[in-house]
Amino acid sequence: MRFTLIKDLKQDSMMKPILSGLLLFTLLYLISDIFVKYSSFGVFEETIKTTLFGNEDEFLDPITTSAFLEFWHMEIFFIMMILLTLSAVFIRLSGAKGFNIIIVKAVMISALISLVALLLSFFVNAVFVQLYVLSFFLWHICAFYMSLYSLIKFYYD
Amino acid sequence: MTNAYKYSIIYFLAFSLLLMISGVLLFEYKIGFSVEQISSYYLGDEDKFMNPQTSSGILKIITPHIFAFGLFIMVLLHFLIFTKKRSSKILKAVIYLTFLSAILELLSPFGIINSIEFFAYVKLLSFIIFELLVLFSSWLLFRSIVYE
Repeated sequence: MRFTLIKDLKQDSMMKPILSGLLLFTLLYLISDIFVKYSSFGVFEETIKTTLFGNEDEFLDPITTSAFLEFWHMEIFFIMMILLTLSAVFIRLSGAKGFNIIIVKAVMISALISLVALLLSFFVNAVFVQLYVLSFFLWHICAFYMSLYSLIKFYYD
Repeated sequence: MTNAYKYSIIYFLAFSLLLMISGVLLFEYKIGFSVEQISSYYLGDEDKFMNPQTSSGILKIITPHIFAFGLFIMVLLHFLIFTKKRSSKILKAVIYLTFLSAILELLSPFGIINSIEFFAYVKLLSFIIFELLVLFSSWLLFRSIVYE
């Protein structure tokens, strides 16, 4: 987190390529996360419900509790580390004012809601899957905006 | 520290809490919170059709955790250095104890599969101590952000 202490980040010849690389990798991660989930866990309501609860007509078994908890555990770790790093860079570059502060709050809250909704979908009621899908896409869109905005700020501002 | 950074740290603490909850749920579902359950999980149990764990199996599980534990502890505890608790003896003790309990939690299964029952106690105790220390550190950080 040394970049939070450097005075003019855009003029720093060492930190600029390092942080640009980080932002580029974050963008790639956000895109590939959607594709990976699309082909495994599911990103839309019906496929997620099939993964979580199975489908008798298609002879598909539901996910086991321990497999679900492992998935949830890993998701939390990845999301928290990505969003902490990304928000630190974004706050540093955007000046953390007005709309951008709202975006930081939106990305964090929607990611938290997506994780809680996923747990509730599995243990409490399938109705929470809708909330999970909505918050999942919301935090991805916000994180995508944050990465892109930071990259543009680096080179065109 | 600007307000925006404070917000992200508070959200990070919320994620940490979820991570702790998921860790406890996983421990409960996969292993169980008693010495007998821990032993039978690692040594196998014919009645429950459970195979014994192997060294390579344990290594496969703990390898990503070694990195994840180290990173998570570092990130969480380094925020405390920016608070008024910076040079307190409590913080120093928390830092050493958190790393120690994490390493014991990760390595104790090797002792269990070598039939040393003592390590089942170590596994259980180190897990509980680790969780409590993370919660305590999170509370210290939360309090310093909100009240200082």
